[in-house]
Amino acid sequence: MGNCCSDEAGGRAAVGGTAASQDNPINAPNDAVSHFLNSRGYHGLYSQIELSYSASDLRDRDLLSKSDPMVVVYTKGRDGTLEELGRTEVVLNSLNPTWITKHTISYQFEIVQILVFRVYDVDTQFHNVEVKMLRLDEQQFLGEASGVLSEIVTKSNRSLTLDLVRREESSRSTRPRNYGKLTVHAEECISSKTTTEMILRCSDLEYKDLFSRSDPFLVISKVVESGIPIPVYKTEVIKNDLKPTWKTVYLNIQQVGSKESPLVIECFNFNSSGKHDLIGKVQKSLADLEKLHSGGQGENLFLPSLVGQNYHNKVLKSQLFVDKYTQNIQHTFLDYLAGGCALNFMVAIDFTASNGNPRLPDSLHYIDPSGRPNSYQRAIIEVGEVLQFYDADKRFPAWGFGARPIDGPVSHCFNLNGSSHHCEVEGIQGIMMAYTSALLNVSLAGPTLFGPVIGNAAQISSQSLANGGRKYFVLLIITDGVVTDLQETKDALVKASDLPLSILIVGVGGADFKEMEILDADKGERLESSTGRVASRDIVQFVPFRDVQGGEISVVQALLAELPTQFLTYMRTRDIQPIS
Amino acid sequence: MFSTASRTLEITVISGEDIRNKRKPVKKNVFAVIRTDSQPLCRTETDKDGGSYPYWNEKHNVDIPVHARFITVEVQCKTSVGDKTLGMATIPVSDFVGGFVPQSYLHFLSYRLRDSNGERNGIINVSVKAKVPEYAASSCSSATTIGVPFGKTSCYGGVVPGVPVGVPIMKQYYQG
Repeated sequence: MGNCCSDEAGGRAAVGGTAASQDNPINAPNDAVSHFLNSRGYHGLYSQIELSYSASDLRDRDLLSKSDPMVVVYTKGRDGTLEELGRTEVVLNSLNPTWITKHTISYQFEIVQILVFRVYDVDTQFHNVEVKMLRLDEQQFLGEASGVLSEIVTKSNRSLTLDLVRREESSRSTRPRNYGKLTVHAEECISSKTTTEMILRCSDLEYKDLFSRSDPFLVISKVVESGIPIPVYKTEVIKNDLKPTWKTVYLNIQQVGSKESPLVIECFNFNSSGKHDLIGKVQKSLADLEKLHSGGQGENLFLPSLVGQNYHNKVLKSQLFVDKYTQNIQHTFLDYLAGGCALNFMVAIDFTASNGNPRLPDSLHYIDPSGRPNSYQRAIIEVGEVLQFYDADKRFPAWGFGARPIDGPVSHCFNLNGSSHHCEVEGIQGIMMAYTSALLNVSLAGPTLFGPVIGNAAQISSQSLANGGRKYFVLLIITDGVVTDLQETKDALVKASDLPLSILIVGVGGADFKEMEILDADKGERLESSTGRVASRDIVQFVPFRDVQGGEISVVQALLAELPTQFLTYMRTRDIQPIS
Repeated sequence: MFSTASRTLEITVISGEDIRNKRKPVKKNVFAVIRTDSQPLCRTETDKDGGSYPYWNEKHNVDIPVHARFITVEVQCKTSVGDKTLGMATIPVSDFVGGFVPQSYLHFLSYRLRDSNGERNGIINVSVKAKVPEYAASSCSSATTIGVPFGKTSCYGGVVPGVPVGVPIMKQYYQG
């Protein structure tokens, strides 16, 4: 079995690079469920947040009494369009109302979720009308405010107070008048924090392979209204076993909907071609599985088989057992953020000559006078605009590599701001400015070495640890070519896997990045250094940027979506608790 | 024993991955021995169920001489004809002592095992934490307090090339 592993890895890498949509998961060449999920937009941290609101010092619009305020909440899309999330009830006669109605929104780490809040005074004549039916243009507008969800959830008290403004005045930017303040509070739903742990086992599975026993693994999917199952968990493959026991399955209640939501548990026989055969399946909710466990009973698998025109469920003698079922509440990513942990963003930019002369329009570094960002700028913006909210001081280390700073020798890690002492710049704007000025001040050279940049990032994160910091670092490397120092890069990554550090590599331009996939442990073997040390966890995500062009869901978002997991793996294996 | 001439380590032998005996996955009864200067420091229980993916998660406090530059982990298998060494890994002390991180930082380390012919075998996962004497600990009190790791999860999904990994695929951030 071991001999064909490399072929499989190669096959996986070939499809791994494209996160293109796979319409039919069964036909997906490698059963990369994550691709299927990505193609449907189900990825990333998925946490339900409950928003509640209060206000103070609202304007009084009624003559005889105080205002009767109501909040309308909108989410703002990338194109600026507003979509109504919901309305609160009308609080009578109050300028300092606290609304009871709460709204639930899914928090997505990888997206900047802009919320717009509008406060209206609802006139007495409308008080017997249901709030949903109210025509907002008939109500008195008291003011509006907007905020970013990640800004609210990262506050230690999870509350953000915003100044209400009037639209017409905010655009004219005259002296701001006082229209009161709106406080938005975000609370994570408890079900987001509840995790079940199960040990699943099957008995009497059927032979599917010609010369050996089956290589079974389980896929657990939730059934949504549309009827299409959405995979939420996949176990490891157990080779050559007809009565396998899989490693502990961890399922978040939020992830499956509720304890009562039906789940489809399918048992497949792993096939290196990617065409895994279905051995059998069951449909059970978590509550059912809990019962199976307490009763010690097995549940027979069934197999849908075609009888004439209709599918018929053939009951198999194979059974599914639940050997362990426990439920516990865990600290979530947001708990850590509110508990004083921060994500620190760092960026490193490829200045090797293969990018082309920055003064020519065909260069990857060409700064378009029209202001249209080049691939490097777009990658910085896309990643930076999400991460900046998790970094309190917004001071970002920024480096370049593979170029000759003024008259010096080729440097494989120079400060982008031209300073010889400090590498930090202020905000995303600071990175952009340092980047454009560096383009004027360095001459592009080569080769492409990652080792020094990763070493520097590792040093910063270990120094932060030494100072008692509770920070997790994210290094974004943007490059146009294949790394020259593959082994040194691996060595640096293996060392860094023990530190609070994740590395995102974005490949720009048309180069063949197949080699880079090796660095991303998702797509192959664990990284091994020249001394035989192996990465203790996966800290690298690689994506070619050309996949990003077009398509609703950016691949950069998919990259970012992995970060909360990597952060939590680090924190939890070390039993580091959020400070409450 | 001279306390100045040795350092105390808290070594947790977590698990092994894809341990093979003559290229075939081991069936059962795998254990690990840790040595320094060929002196045995500790050994784990034999894992009866884990097969080629043994899981021990055993914590041992060991003293190693300060001049020791390596410790070794040997993965062995109990057979009817005695114990057989399947693979060995050398861990440089510099992987968990020195550098910028706090002295008592909990290091999660994994190493490639090699058999007596130098052929690649599986992987061994350990965690190592240098015990800092009380007085020294108080002088660098800023270090993050780090508790006992691991109840129920392996530190890595158990990656074998070409095989889907045992991690939740959607939002696995709650794992651990």
